[in-house]
Amino acid sequence: MKIGSHELKLERRVSLSGWQATGISILAIIVALAIFSIIFILAGVNPLTAYAEIFSYAFANPFGLPLTMNRSIFILLCTYAFIIPFAAGLWNIGMAGQLYAGSLAAYAVLLALGVKEFQSAELPTTLVILMMLIAAMLGGAFIGGIAGFLKGKYNINEIVVTMMLNFMMFWVVSFFIKEGGIFMNPGGRGESFELPPSLQPSLIFGIPFTIFIALGAALLLHFVLHKTKIGYEIRAYGENPTAAAYAGISNFSMPLLVFIMGGALAGLAGYHYFGAVPGVYKIARNYGYFGDLAFYGIICGLISRGNPLAAIPVALLFGGLSIGARFVQGKMGMSFGVDFALLGVLMITLVAFQFFYRYKFIWENSKGEP
Amino acid sequence: MYKVLPENIKRGHTILEARGITKRFPGVVANDRIDFKIRLGEIHAVLGENGAGKTTLMKILFGQYQPDEGEIFIGGEEVRFKSPLDAIDLGIGMVHQHRKLIPAHSVIENIILGHPRAGKILNLKRAEQEVLEICEKYGFSLDLNAKVWQLSEGEKQLVEIIKALYRGAEVLILDEPSSALTPVETEKLLISIKAMSEGDLAIVPFITHKLPIVLQISDRVTVLRKGKVVSCIDTSEATEQSLAKEMVGRDVIFRTQRTTVEKGETIIQVNDLSAFSDKGVMALNGVSFSIREGEIFGVAGISGNGQRELVEVLAGLRKPEGGSVSLDEVDITFADSLKRWRLGIGYVPADRIAMGSIADFSLVENVTMNYYFDHEYYRRGVLDTKKIRELTNDIIAEYDVITPNVDIVAKCLSGGNLQKLILARVLSRKPRLVIVDLPTQGLDVGATEFVRNKLIDAKKEGACVLLISEDLDEVLSLSDWVAPIYEGEFMGILPGEDAKRELVGAMMAGIHLDEESA
Repeated sequence: MKIGSHELKLERRVSLSGWQATGISILAIIVALAIFSIIFILAGVNPLTAYAEIFSYAFANPFGLPLTMNRSIFILLCTYAFIIPFAAGLWNIGMAGQLYAGSLAAYAVLLALGVKEFQSAELPTTLVILMMLIAAMLGGAFIGGIAGFLKGKYNINEIVVTMMLNFMMFWVVSFFIKEGGIFMNPGGRGESFELPPSLQPSLIFGIPFTIFIALGAALLLHFVLHKTKIGYEIRAYGENPTAAAYAGISNFSMPLLVFIMGGALAGLAGYHYFGAVPGVYKIARNYGYFGDLAFYGIICGLISRGNPLAAIPVALLFGGLSIGARFVQGKMGMSFGVDFALLGVLMITLVAFQFFYRYKFIWENSKGEP
Repeated sequence: MYKVLPENIKRGHTILEARGITKRFPGVVANDRIDFKIRLGEIHAVLGENGAGKTTLMKILFGQYQPDEGEIFIGGEEVRFKSPLDAIDLGIGMVHQHRKLIPAHSVIENIILGHPRAGKILNLKRAEQEVLEICEKYGFSLDLNAKVWQLSEGEKQLVEIIKALYRGAEVLILDEPSSALTPVETEKLLISIKAMSEGDLAIVPFITHKLPIVLQISDRVTVLRKGKVVSCIDTSEATEQSLAKEMVGRDVIFRTQRTTVEKGETIIQVNDLSAFSDKGVMALNGVSFSIREGEIFGVAGISGNGQRELVEVLAGLRKPEGGSVSLDEVDITFADSLKRWRLGIGYVPADRIAMGSIADFSLVENVTMNYYFDHEYYRRGVLDTKKIRELTNDIIAEYDVITPNVDIVAKCLSGGNLQKLILARVLSRKPRLVIVDLPTQGLDVGATEFVRNKLIDAKKEGACVLLISEDLDEVLSLSDWVAPIYEGEFMGILPGEDAKRELVGAMMAGIHLDEESA
């Protein structure tokens, strides 16, 4: 395209720094919000007011902020569950199944300790919570490990396996918590028995303690992937499995390992929502909704390009917007689905802008040509 | 759209001209004010070492890169290529070094793929007729209905050539055309090239190191060095020595002299080893040999005779079906590859890009490939990146790997530099057994000489070397033992001094040593 003596050219990027990627993502968010303004305008709502409401409710409101945090922690843990296999070049889209398994395992600890019947455990609270956390990780790791094992041993496509495990685990949860299931709430209602108050972890400024797990995991993952031997092996396998095998890195244990690690983190996400978020404290009837929410882990993982630290702001944004938009939808009397539509537009725009990770526009002075 | 060439261009006139082509990449000037003319009906070879800028120039002429400066003229008119499509429309065809065909499709389907007329309804009959005319004109013989996967490497290349001609190429650029071909196929290719140039096509083979081929077929030759044109002369005025000197910038010794050193203990002992190929065929069939300290054991043969299986079994990447392997009297028949690295087997694979390196990893991370498991380079699971970085700096200095720094990714290195890096990485571990598979394939004269000397150094230091090569001269000049391989079996094992070219050549073609002497 030519404008005057200057020409606009598209050129392939040779490299991309973290700051450039950040800049591109921020630009994408602004563009997405601008595009979505059309919806607000069509609905007769001033987009600026709407966005002000969304952001202030999500990030500055005493009621909205904790909701945002709960949701962001959940998405963040699911993002890690995606990122670890992604570093090994594998796609985990089974966060839903893994978090269901984690939640069931955590509640199974309570069942084993007799909490369901007696509404209390003999053991100290901290120990029980720790056991629940470990059980959640093991549960998620087990389901994840199935996909990793099948990939490593028989080279079966991990996307298909994780996806199918999602469906299976959905019904397994149903089997356990609905009528007749061993986890059934005494009052029925299609949900699991409740966590007794003594086992409800205390909040820190209204935020579950799992935030420390989520933030700690970011640092840990960053360290593990980039500084350690095992992280090197994972990344080498992810970049080039043939070269990794040449260098002595096992093409069996790498997929298994990353899916166990990813599954464990997804299991923690399950514990977080059903064991640590105030007002839930049970495997809720609408657990399928959280399974769907877990898929935002994929998009956050892709946007943050597999970087666990960059995933933090991205997860916060997605968590906040989904909460804020739902609030605005009610307040402005808009029709159902504004939050999903906003997240959808944001997602598409962010993915579309990844184009600029690979290409850039440059202005070139084309003077001096005939 | 195509055939824009003015009719008045006759044989011998300039058809394609590049003036002052400059292309910069971060840290390097790949092409520095290159002037280049191709005449209709000539075979114009372009010579240069790895990293001399040949590939960049070729990509610019084919529209894959846009030059930072300079112009391209076709038939005297200035043109600008936005993409290879523009170049194709203006009559430029390219045959890549790596095949770009669909194996499951037939030859004719591959040829018409991407042709403007193939967009709507396929008229295979008409296309076949037209393609047959082309084949007839240049004397190519090829079964158009064969599937591409059934073809040999040389036939696949011919398919690409025909494909370019069918799209109306007047200038045909061949990227290292003989690199993947056997000697017989190379002969056939040269005949085809001659036939095409007589049919008024301009042909530009980019050749790195096969100087005899340049001398045999080309009319003119342009030599590039460090992004600049060093000379452009008629081939009749050139000799192998003069071209090599211009390419490298110094005199080159062509024959590495075999040096014999004192032989020590047996390092590797292989007994009756056999293995299946990926297709489930017994590709390695009862091979036995041993190599001692200070020896190079050369396996000569055309690719696909079991060399790959032999190497992979020894490297721990393929399960043997029978037989045994021991290294320093330790049985390693079923050891995994990591254990073998630890025990002192160093492997330099034939495929440097897909197996030997990780394209998007930095040079430091690529060196880590052979060190991440070494206790000296990690502590409590954390890699000592500082130490690996120092090591990388040391070895790129020692092996003269040309790179702006050690943080660039491996895919930015030219083929020769990448091979030097891999060799340096493996040899720096001081392995007991060095396995090198096609170590100098695709390398220029300078790098080839360097690699061969390093192998001799390794043997002098008391290692043993298993050398797999298709290049008979290489095997004969380096090896203490020569084992011609044919269909998974050694046709005999000859001491280096007794291995005569004709004898080894016959054994590579399947004649057993006993039959030969009988």
